[in-house]
Order: sequence, then C-alpha cells, then structure tokens
Amino acid sequence: MIKQVENPILEIHDLTVSYDQSPVLWNVDLSLPAGKLIGILGPNGAGKSTLIKSVMGLVEPSSGYVKLFDQTLDAVRNRISYVPQRESVDWNFPASVLDVVLMGTYGKLGLFKRPGKKEKALALDCLEKVGMSAFVHRQISELSGGQQQRVFIARALAQEADLYLMDEPFAGVDMNTEAAIFKLLQEMSAGGKTVVVVHHDIYSAVNYFDWFIMLNLHLVASGPKNEVVTEELLRKTYGGKLNLLSKVSELIRQKEFNPLKG
Amino acid sequence: MSDFLYFFSFQDSSIAFVVMGITLLGIGSAFVGTFSFLDNKALLGDAISHAVFPGICLGFMLAGEKNPFYIVGGAFLSGALATFLSSWLKSNTKLSDDTIIAVILSVFFGIGIVFLTVIQKSGNPEMAGLNQFIFGNAIGIVERDLWVYGSLSILIISVIGFMLKEFQILVFNPEFGKAVGLPMNIIRFVFDVLLILAVVIGIQAIGVVLMAALLITPGTAARFWTDRLGILLGLASLFAILSGVFGTYISYLLPQMPTGPWVVVILSSIALISFLFAPKKGLVSRYFHRRSYLQKTQRDHVLKSIFKARELGQEGLTRAELLSLYPHQQSSIKNSIKGLEKEGLLFVNQSLIKLTDPGKYQARRVVRLHRLWESYLNEYMNIAPDHVHESAEKLEHLLTPDLEALLESRLNFPKLDPHQEQIPRDHDEL
Repeated sequence: MIKQVENPILEIHDLTVSYDQSPVLWNVDLSLPAGKLIGILGPNGAGKSTLIKSVMGLVEPSSGYVKLFDQTLDAVRNRISYVPQRESVDWNFPASVLDVVLMGTYGKLGLFKRPGKKEKALALDCLEKVGMSAFVHRQISELSGGQQQRVFIARALAQEADLYLMDEPFAGVDMNTEAAIFKLLQEMSAGGKTVVVVHHDIYSAVNYFDWFIMLNLHLVASGPKNEVVTEELLRKTYGGKLNLLSKVSELIRQKEFNPLKG
Repeated sequence: MSDFLYFFSFQDSSIAFVVMGITLLGIGSAFVGTFSFLDNKALLGDAISHAVFPGICLGFMLAGEKNPFYIVGGAFLSGALATFLSSWLKSNTKLSDDTIIAVILSVFFGIGIVFLTVIQKSGNPEMAGLNQFIFGNAIGIVERDLWVYGSLSILIISVIGFMLKEFQILVFNPEFGKAVGLPMNIIRFVFDVLLILAVVIGIQAIGVVLMAALLITPGTAARFWTDRLGILLGLASLFAILSGVFGTYISYLLPQMPTGPWVVVILSSIALISFLFAPKKGLVSRYFHRRSYLQKTQRDHVLKSIFKARELGQEGLTRAELLSLYPHQQSSIKNSIKGLEKEGLLFVNQSLIKLTDPGKYQARRVVRLHRLWESYLNEYMNIAPDHVHESAEKLEHLLTPDLEALLESRLNFPKLDPHQEQIPRDHDEL
C-alpha cells in the first residue's frame, strides 16, 4: 500500500542506499503531502534513520534521487530542518543551551557571520516554545535526556523551516517531555508545517501521526493512517518477529470503535 | 635575580622579540589544540608533530642552511602528507585510529632520523643547529625566523577568531552543519591546515617531539576550570603563554638547556594543579565536597536518634546512650555533637542532649523523608517493608523539597510508614 500524492512536499524516487556494499534501503519510492504529521515506523535496523539522512544529503544514495518542494536539496535547504539523534553528539562539549539553539540559525547566516541580536531573540523564542526558558545559560552536560532533546528541537525550530525531519525525538525521554514534544509537533502541523518523525513505538505512533511510512529495508507502506495501519502491513513491517504486533491488534480490539477508520 | 630582571624587563630587544614570538605561538597552538582536544583527536597533533621532521631535514638539505622558508615549507608539506595519509588509510583500510596514528608517527619520524644522519655525515658546518628542532631552542631564534613564525601564528589566531562558529559546529555536530548547508568538508580542511601550521610554528621554539604537549595540555588543563568555550580558549592561551615564556627564560639562563622540555614541565605542573585544585572538578574540591556531605549525613543521624528517643517519651539522650548507638564511630560522633551544638540544633541540659526548636524541625524533616521514601518503595515498587530501610537511610539526605512535595501528593499524605511508625509533619505537636 503505497499512496502517491499530487504536489508532494517530499518525493523520494527509487532510492537505494548501501553501507559497505550491503544495501540498507531498497528502492524506496514515495511522496509525502504537505502539512501532515508523518511517522516513520520499522524495526531496529530497518533503515529509518538512513532514510532521513539520505533526504538531508548526509549519506550518498547508490541510486535514485530526492526532491523537496519539487527542487533539489541545495536549492531549498533553508526550508528544511533536521533533528539528529540525541546520542550522535558529545554533550560534554563546552556550550550553553543558548549556544546550541543558536546553531539553528547558522544555515541562514552562512559562513563567517556571527549570530547577532535578532538570532538571539529567535533562539530565546524557540526555547520558550519547548519550555526551556529557565535553562538558557545552563551547560548542556547538566541537562537530562529529555531536556537535551528539547534543546535539539528548539534548535530545529530556530531554522524556521517548512519541513522538519526528526530522528527519534522521543527516544529516552520521560513521559512529560514526550507529551510536551508531541503537543508542539501537533501545533506545528496545524500551523501548516510538515513534520516527519522517526519513531520506534507502534503503540503511541497510532495515536500520534496521521500519515505513516513503514520500512523494513524496503518500503512496506506509505499512506494516511486509516489506510495503512492494518494488521497485515504491520506484520509485514515487523516481520512477525515481534509479538508487539499482536499487542497492537489487542489494543485496537479493546477500543469500542475501530480506531483505524478515520 | 638580576638575570630575571634583565629578562623580564625586556631591555634587550631580542629578548622582547622572542617573548612576543612565544606568546603568539602559545595562543595559536592553544587555540588549535583546544579544538582538536575537544574533537577527541589529541593524538593526531602528536603524529603530525613527529611527521614534520623529515620535511625539516629535506628543507635543510635543499637550502644548505637553516633558512626558515625552506624549513617551514618542508615541515608543512610533510605534515600535510602525514595528515592526508592518515585520512586515506582510515577510509581505505579497516585499521583503527590508534594503529594509523602509531604507524604514521613512527614511520615519518624514523625517516626524519635517517635524513638527519645523512646530513650529519655530510659535514655541513650549519648542521649543528638542526638538532635544536628535536627539543627546541627558543633563544636560538633569530629575527628572520621570528617574522616567519610570528606571522604564521597571527594567521592561525585570526582564522580561528574569524571562524569560531564554524569550528564549534565542526566539533560539536558536523552532521548538523552539513544539514544546514555549511561546507563542512572545506571547514575540516581549513582546520587540518591550521593544525599542521600550529605544529610548524612550534618546531624551532619547542621542537617536534614535544610540540604535541603545547597543543593539547593547555586545553586539557583549562577544561577543569570552565564550561564556556570562550573562557576555555582564553585560559588555554594563558597557560601556553606562561609555560612558553618560562621555558624561554630557562633557555636564556642556561643556553645549553633546550626549551621544549621546560615548557612541558611547566605545562604539566599547571595541568596537575588544575586536576587537583580546580573548583568543582578538581580532586581536592571533590574530596571536601564528599567529606562535608558525609559529615552532614552523620549529623542528620544524630538528630534522628534524639528525635526517636523523644518519640519513645524520653526528653533526650545522654552522651553515653548516644555514643553506644554508634559503636564504630565514637570520635566522629563526638565531633558531630559538638558541631550540632555550635549550629544551635541541640543543647546539653543536666547531662541530657536535647533538640532545640530548629533542631526539632531538621530532625522531623529527615525522619519524614526517611519514612515517606520507605512508604513509596513499599507501595509503588512493591518492596517488602523489611527491605526498604537501607535505601531510605541514604535518600533521606538527598531528597529535595520539590521531591518531598511530589512524594506527599503521590502517597496522598500518609500518616504511617510501612513499619506503622508515624510520619512526622511540621504542624505536629511533639
């Protein structure tokens, strides 16, 4: 079940990506509508992070191409924002929360220019949106996992983009942070932004997203929630190896109505 | 002493020049080295500093004398070749980083020594000065050298100052930099060039063997004192300048004494002092912090013992009764009693040790936290009542008022703990 859309905000055409000759993504071909909250689901090692890294041009595809806003990546970089995995950086780096959020403005600033008053005001604004105003000058190594994640999201907000690609923003965060981040993502999507999120937990995903990409080295499904969140597609995605699947169908059965239908 | 005054009053313009040169060199190498230390690439600087040696010898052979342009040029080229080789080996073989570094360092330095032997056999009268490049001799610097090394240092300092934001993102999160469209490959290349240059400027004054120390140690030592990048760079520069100037002074006093080893001795002392005495991160400060924490926990325990005696209807405890509760800590308990008396938390009346009002308040709080935590463990984590005491004994000193409030509301303000003991509150009569 792969639903293609008219005027996609993101189009991935026959993308194949390999690490050390072994393909980690096979012929992914999909298109995404604007203004949706989109979840990328799949088991460990399914190529979820690889997919968004190749959209951001951080890994070279072996074949295929990516188009954003019907253009190449370099033409529209300022309209795209990226949140890498929290573990991908060394949080002992001597920087304050504000320093990290200011990095979100570096793309628009370009080389050599330093962030000024305008950028600082923007960064403070973004920190307020993620509820981290009290931590502006805090050293980043002193933050909890959930706070670090909020800082990364604030940095992405400071890019003032239209399309947001987030790699596991819910990984290792506490329940309060998860709820706060999700609320923020909903607001962004209601405000016309497109948000693509790599997510590992099918349980909460069903409640969070309105469009799903399901990956398991190849593209299993891409489409709106009510069309693709089916037992069959979930089983295909998770290969039947996980008994999570039966739990999800249990979850669906427990509802008095069918949550998969609109 | 008169030597000291003569040196540091800079009456001699050649000394002033050398000190200025070593200051610039210190700032430049501290800047570059701090970034490469933060990037966890400390060993690369060591490899490059050894790898410039064959280039120095080749430059000397070509020029036939100690011409700084030939020597700097040769050093730069062989440093660049080493840097290129190490990244080529990394992407084209499965060798680990430390293997690559070890191979590059020893192969290049070995070749350098071969060249040096060839030059020594040639009987060139100029070659005596070449040994200086191994351990450095700042006083041997002449004005012509100074112009070359000085301007290279200024170049390094200005490029880093100008590209602070770029290097910050290069070290912290290069992937993000690439994602926002910064040319990370070019920034990495510029940084590699700066690293090689930072080694090259130190070859005359510090020597190739020890230059890595001037790159890495200042940043490492400064890291103990601060969490801010700007202050870190400033402190690292200060440490590098101090050690550089002092090393030069020694070489001035004792002309046979190479500069590099003395710079390293001073730098290591600064690093050792930082490691031991820096506030917060230093060993001594952590020791005292821990000691005062342990002292506080023991005082809490003393207050608690008297509080419990009151619960059983006693007015207080005699000194002997109190000490008998802690048979293995007699002397420290005596200290705690003295300390608590000084703080006004307890007083002695007719040989009975009793709590003052602030003492009651503090004791009540510790007992309350202890019993609340026991209740929480029992109720929420299903731990049997006879297994909860140990954990509560530690947590009662740690829990903050915020957490206390949270515990109270989660447990719905319980009256009794799992051992059916009353949980004391401030409004209770006691």
